[in-house]
Amino acid sequence: MKLTIEEKLSILAGSAKYDVSCSSSGSENNYKTGELGCTHNSGICHSFTSDGRCISLLKVLLSNVCIYDCAYCINRVSNDIPRTAFTPKELADLTINFYKRNYIEGLFLSSGIIKNEDHTMNLLLQTLRILRHEYRFNGYIHVKLIPGASKELIEEATLLAHRVSSNIELPSSKSLALLAPDKTKETLLSPLKHARNITLERSNKPISMSTQMIIGATGESDFEILKLSSSLYQKALLKRVYYSAYIAVNTHKYLPVPEFSKPPLLREHRLYQADWLLRFYGFSYDEILRENQNLDIQFDPKTFWALSNLHHFPIDVNRAPKEVLVRIPGIGIRGALKILQARRFKQLSFEDLTQLKISLKKARYFIVAGKDFYRSTSLYEEKIKLALIHQGTNIIQPTLFDASIYTGEL
Amino acid sequence: MMLLYDGSFEGFLTLIYDVYYESLHVSSIVKKMPETLVFERFYEVFNDEKKAQKVLEAIHKHFTKEQQRTIFHTLLCDTRAYETALLEYIRIGFKNRNVLQNINNPNLFYIHNLEKELLCLVHKMYGFTRFEELDDGTLYAKIETKFNIVPFLGDHFCKRLGNIPFIIHDVKRSLAFVKNDEMREIRSIAAFDAPTVSSEEEKFKTLWKSFFKAAAVQERLNPKLQQSWVPLIYRTYMYEFDM
Repeated sequence: MKLTIEEKLSILAGSAKYDVSCSSSGSENNYKTGELGCTHNSGICHSFTSDGRCISLLKVLLSNVCIYDCAYCINRVSNDIPRTAFTPKELADLTINFYKRNYIEGLFLSSGIIKNEDHTMNLLLQTLRILRHEYRFNGYIHVKLIPGASKELIEEATLLAHRVSSNIELPSSKSLALLAPDKTKETLLSPLKHARNITLERSNKPISMSTQMIIGATGESDFEILKLSSSLYQKALLKRVYYSAYIAVNTHKYLPVPEFSKPPLLREHRLYQADWLLRFYGFSYDEILRENQNLDIQFDPKTFWALSNLHHFPIDVNRAPKEVLVRIPGIGIRGALKILQARRFKQLSFEDLTQLKISLKKARYFIVAGKDFYRSTSLYEEKIKLALIHQGTNIIQPTLFDASIYTGEL
Repeated sequence: MMLLYDGSFEGFLTLIYDVYYESLHVSSIVKKMPETLVFERFYEVFNDEKKAQKVLEAIHKHFTKEQQRTIFHTLLCDTRAYETALLEYIRIGFKNRNVLQNINNPNLFYIHNLEKELLCLVHKMYGFTRFEELDDGTLYAKIETKFNIVPFLGDHFCKRLGNIPFIIHDVKRSLAFVKNDEMREIRSIAAFDAPTVSSEEEKFKTLWKSFFKAAAVQERLNPKLQQSWVPLIYRTYMYEFDM
């Protein structure tokens, strides 16, 4: 059966959509006169789908044919679904035409495993070669490293792409053995390590890399997950870890039953909040959570941390340095910068903070500003908790669940 | 006293000159005579190239590069009544430019936020602008935006589209950024015939729409969130939202 390009695109974008990585940021603007395409440092979102996630890149699989049988994956070999593939040329043409019309920021290319790992990696690279060499395309390209592909191919990928990634998928070796018998933690991480090492030999900046973990398919605690992310960030291996709430697409004896499981979106949201605390707010994973604990559902991780560490509070907004200001619940990086700028000219009061459009809804319980502090609630955990619950700031607005998809990497 | 000026860049510079040299006490600045009766003295600013030039030179001399940029950015926010705040910004800057950092001052904070709003819009439109290919290969985009961001988009797409000629047409302001082998400039467009699109255009629009549909995860459906990222006002020329 011959499929039209439109049918292929539907199938192969549909198979790729569970990969949540979307960002196109972090590359210096690389504009070259007369060449098509350049990257933008902060990344650009081109549209948002009806699930509220951004479209930045043309995210497709080259093929959804796969020889692996990973329990959680829609494309596993034992699933009876329509299979198809783009030719590298077809996909390169599609990318260029979408890019010209400003539909996309570039290409995000992954694939099921066709025949074997090297063959698959080679097909991916063939697409990239056409784009880079034949069409002189200079826009953003993110390519998946196929675990088990040869070192030469991985090296070539780092030369052609802006970002490479390999998904860890499951946060522990035990879960991997159970659900993805063809993969081990070592085979998943080794292409990333190799890519880091060879790019470090070329220049002092390693290629940007990311990974993804599926949340809620297996029994790991949030503590284990954050500990793993934190160690990946610290080794400077990765720029981003993505968390993907498990969506039951298959039935399997070790997986949640599809009919009864909803994707754990709130948990995913909390993990992203905690991830931000790790990357931009100077928190360490063991400050956020204790051994085998899960993130609180009622309160966001920063508020939860503040409530259990009230001895650090109240914080004087007129004196505290930036790294302390950002630890105040309800005050983010931007709020902290505004405070720093404004307090050079006067001692700030609650009114001044409101004037600066800094929300005091949560923050007021934790700060002093000149003579102002929040008199009606004293600094006791239970009292603040009650007050927060009462005023409803803790109630999560479902529409904000996925605010973390925002690609702006500071 | 109420000041009346024509809303142009030159007009505003002349206004600053007059405020200083005629020692005017400004209560409000308007672009059009109000239709109701005003019990207030008013002063009409007549554009004067020499005065404007002088003020422009003074601004170059007294303000940092970044502050000058803020002033010019503010002037692009043409649907807002920024005049009083901007006049205050320039006055304070002439006295002591270091005080311009003081965001406790409502006028300075207003300008600060307005610039942020503009740049935010610019960033959104970097992504949300959609080109169509015309039959001669030119890429053509229509936009309708609350602020005048044609210069930003022009620069951005010059870097991005290599040698491909393109036109970005601001429909409401009747402006267009035109780039091809001979020119790269912003011109005003009096009349414009709907151009003919290339024969391939429909095909790629359809492909784009089917990609857009296929990329959504049904189990996570959240149109409210989608709308907070892409408010309806941006969707006029984003084909993926046409049913």
